[in-house]
Amino acid sequence: MNEEIAAKIKKMLVERLRIPEDELEYDSELFGEDIGLDSIDSIEIIVGLEDLFGVDMSGSGKENFQSIRTLTQYVEEHKED
Amino acid sequence: MSDSIKRCVVTGLGLVCALGDDAASCAASAFSGKSGIKDVESFDTANCYSHKGAEVALTDEQLCSEKYDRTTLLCIKAAGEALADSGIDLGNEDRTKIGVILGTCIGGAASIDKYYTDSFEGRPADKEDIKRMPASAIANNVAYHFGLDGITANIVNACAAGTMSLAGACDMIRAGKADVFVAGGCDSFSSLAYAGFHALHALSEDVCSPFNHSNGITIGEGSGVLIIESYEHAAARGAKIYCDVLGAGVSSDAYHITAPRPDGEGQMSAIRRAAFNSGVDLSEIDYINAHGTGTSKNDEAEFLSLRTLFGNRPDLAVSSTKSMNGHCLGAAGSIEAVLTIEAMNRGEVPPTTGYSSDDIEALREKSGGIGFVANDKQAKDVKLAMSNSFAFGGNNASIIFSKEPREIKNVRNTDPIYITGIGEVTGTKAEGASDFRADVSPEVFKQHEVKTAFLRKLDRFSELVLLSGIVALEDAGIKVDDTNADDIGIVIGTSDGPITEIVNFQKLVIEKGIENGSAFMFPNTVYNAAGGYLSIFTGIKGYNITVANGFQAGLQSVMNACEAIRRGDENVMLANGTDELTDIEAELYKNLGFTGNGKDTGVVLGEGSVTLILESSKAAAERGSKKYAQVAGYSIARHSAPYDEIGGTDEALVRAIEEAVSDAGIRAGDIKTVYGFANGIKSLDDVLDRAVSRIWKDGIEVKNVRSESGEARAASAALSLAKAAKEMDASEGDYSIAVSFGAGGIYSAIVLKKA
Repeated sequence: MNEEIAAKIKKMLVERLRIPEDELEYDSELFGEDIGLDSIDSIEIIVGLEDLFGVDMSGSGKENFQSIRTLTQYVEEHKED
Repeated sequence: MSDSIKRCVVTGLGLVCALGDDAASCAASAFSGKSGIKDVESFDTANCYSHKGAEVALTDEQLCSEKYDRTTLLCIKAAGEALADSGIDLGNEDRTKIGVILGTCIGGAASIDKYYTDSFEGRPADKEDIKRMPASAIANNVAYHFGLDGITANIVNACAAGTMSLAGACDMIRAGKADVFVAGGCDSFSSLAYAGFHALHALSEDVCSPFNHSNGITIGEGSGVLIIESYEHAAARGAKIYCDVLGAGVSSDAYHITAPRPDGEGQMSAIRRAAFNSGVDLSEIDYINAHGTGTSKNDEAEFLSLRTLFGNRPDLAVSSTKSMNGHCLGAAGSIEAVLTIEAMNRGEVPPTTGYSSDDIEALREKSGGIGFVANDKQAKDVKLAMSNSFAFGGNNASIIFSKEPREIKNVRNTDPIYITGIGEVTGTKAEGASDFRADVSPEVFKQHEVKTAFLRKLDRFSELVLLSGIVALEDAGIKVDDTNADDIGIVIGTSDGPITEIVNFQKLVIEKGIENGSAFMFPNTVYNAAGGYLSIFTGIKGYNITVANGFQAGLQSVMNACEAIRRGDENVMLANGTDELTDIEAELYKNLGFTGNGKDTGVVLGEGSVTLILESSKAAAERGSKKYAQVAGYSIARHSAPYDEIGGTDEALVRAIEEAVSDAGIRAGDIKTVYGFANGIKSLDDVLDRAVSRIWKDGIEVKNVRSESGEARAASAALSLAKAAKEMDASEGDYSIAVSFGAGGIYSAIVLKKA
């Protein structure tokens, strides 16, 4: 996993979605009970990743939104350098 | 007590929206299926995926020559038409008996946009724009413009606000607080709402067509105003009567901050409540002006609600006029009320537009045998009509109009109401700080089992409301479950609402463009989000309104809550006063020149939230509740003043106190302590001194809460009452009174009695 991308995604989630930094790990289940993201948050994630990496995740599968790790993998695979 | 409740009749109509500049021209368009939706002109939507809007063609200057925010101007236009239509001769009326109650969602968003755009682009920001920002200003502006001295209120429950305000007008007339109300709703076109719904992907790419492809909404602007008066008052002046307003129903979903409950339970609860309060059977309804926004979530839930309650009624006509005038947010319910009344008048029903022949076939399959009206108006003798509005925060409202008078049984409950729980969140002054701030850190919420996953969505205003609400319920020992969720309601009172979140969202849009609004922040920009979160967290499903009306809203909420119990809507009410303080508000108040030493040069700002649990005597007896005090009497009085004039005359305060004392059935001399509102603004403190010395010539003890926790506006108003209630036991006397003021010349007073 690209640590640099993961750190940027974490920062974006903390800022945009007000998730307490100390409660957010790379493997935290984003849409589970602890972090509790919902459909509105997923819109923000899509916009945030587009802003940061120019990667468009709209319409991509749920499995990609599971954690910072899966988001990072998706970005790595779809990012154009 | 009379056997039936007072008849409330509609005697005047006023309307301005994308369909036209007056009720007649709007109706002419709506009933011929002509849409007012065009490409947006107010701002550049080039980078947005949608470009449609339903804007009013008139400029600010054409609406009214005075300088107000556009939301107020739209309302002045519609209210002027409605008053003229009603034929009321204001010169011949007791103006203290004519009130103004308005619904709004975005309030002064256009002025917030202008103020921060000026700053961002390096122009000096105009202080006058600050006064135009809060929703609190609107009803007082309209009352001042027309010289009306009755009660005012701004109901700020987003897209249900327009319907709730009509219900509120009837409630106050029936409670004897006024003879006539200028009632309705208003909202201007704004980058705030456009960017917000754009961020949520809730805008329709093309013109919206509700109950059809359900691709999203088209935002509109406008104002609808009804003159609602008691039948006796209308008859005495020989007024023409359009129809009766029967009853209304208000409920909360307790589900999600933007999405409606998919099972439609909250919507159906509001509809059933409206029918019950109107004494009608749902099978009698001839026409429903649906909420029908055009989002898939709304349309699916609403189809389900309507099919469940009204299925297989081909004789029931249903349409959504939003297909032609857009979704006018806080004005929607009032605009739709005018068109619904026009339907009764004309004997025909306006259509939902935008259907192909295939679409009409598809609609028939989804309709569950209900007569949805598509594309073309339908001839119909509408005797009973319903208008529904459902909002962010999960707030639902339904109201019923009747062509013929109907007797509605009076179930008003005059038994004592008790304060049985108190939740106080107040600020403290850190060393070297110039104001009082509250602790709303995650640790505080953890003590009350609020999880991060829930808490992180909340803005500061919502955090304050949630915390004091939870603490109050804990203090009262009330657990919300399936057995009582429908019998508990909420009234939030505020002066400035969630202004921090609004300003931050607006700044983002100004800096990054309308296409870059935050979907995360937008739901919190509506004033009623806090009440919505409180219902979602606690599971409270009853009555739920938010009143924005200056500092005194923290007492007005208590009066509204008592009235909800008196009407039999609920057994238990949470009445709240809340205002937040961040650097954003601190700067705005400083720029207005309001801040000072808290003694004689201006206010020391504070923030907080105070929730009082009010309980009917029956519910309190059943629960064996502890009782802080009894709410013995209350009143609001206004003497019209410009919104930015602080203090004014003491006449209205004296009247509020005298009426509250009389409502309690006592004499002023029976009161031992006054909980006042002195805050360091000299003109205001003088009003209190003068009024108190006029009423209690031999002097009386006056206590103030602002010295302890700052001027926390609506929270301070509610805090003064909470303090009075807590000190009641130790008081020598049997009665005390809490008083408060609001900009625009409004004063309120509540008398407490030892329980």
